[in-house]
Amino acid sequence: MTLTGLIGHICMFPLRSIIAACVALRIHPNILTFVGVLINVAAAVALGQARFITAGFIMIVANIFDFIDGKVARELQAETKFGGFWDSVIDRFSDIALFLGLIYLYSTRGRTDYVMIAAIAMMFAIMTSYTRARAESLIAKCKVGFMERPERIVLFMIGAFTNRMAAVMWVIGVLSVFTVADRIIYTYRELRDAPPEPAS
Amino acid sequence: MKTLTLPARILWNAFFWTYERATWQYDLMVIAILAFVWLTPPDWLGDPMASGTGPIGWMLAMLRVYTSSRSS
Repeated sequence: MTLTGLIGHICMFPLRSIIAACVALRIHPNILTFVGVLINVAAAVALGQARFITAGFIMIVANIFDFIDGKVARELQAETKFGGFWDSVIDRFSDIALFLGLIYLYSTRGRTDYVMIAAIAMMFAIMTSYTRARAESLIAKCKVGFMERPERIVLFMIGAFTNRMAAVMWVIGVLSVFTVADRIIYTYRELRDAPPEPAS
Repeated sequence: MKTLTLPARILWNAFFWTYERATWQYDLMVIAILAFVWLTPPDWLGDPMASGTGPIGWMLAMLRVYTSSRSS
């Protein structure tokens, strides 16, 4: 087992009991998704006030909701197309909220350079999701590139708990640029190599 | 891709990322990212919220003390 696989395996222990509790209480997964975004907004407020440790703990709680909603939907057999759409849309709000918290913080400190770095990281984080969604309307799958949402969230938490948010913004920004580029290249290649569609 | 030299292929595979999570390539990338985040001195990045030279600064300072003690 790999290092990250082992960490994931260990984290699943407490999550399984939370999922079981939500299933027993029959909490609708769409409500879990919505609660997740509300808690993420609270994390963004804490980030904006430079309370990084508090923000880190709030992000953990918020992302438990984010993580379990799909699993609860499966367990309750309540998976719907709208649920998937709702989850994707709400995830973007959560992403943007966290970046806005940091942008506000850096602007109050008069750090235009980091306002721009965080804004660019936010732009490419959103484009990462958009390129995949748009690509998958044309090709079967477009799951290339490293910096996806789980990686971003874990990096946000690491940055908050260890007060290394500037380095985290650089990593998210640069790797998100590569992820968007990867998806464009991959989609181009897939479409180029696809057999031509028969003329109607 | 077969015409690329090994270092160029490693770089290309790092940038054009197609590996799944929980693979050794993923672990390596995670270690590289954590090393950058934790070892890079906040002063080098002009971090608005943190200051100091971080672990690299401490190592350089220790190295400086060690080399000066050896030379004296």
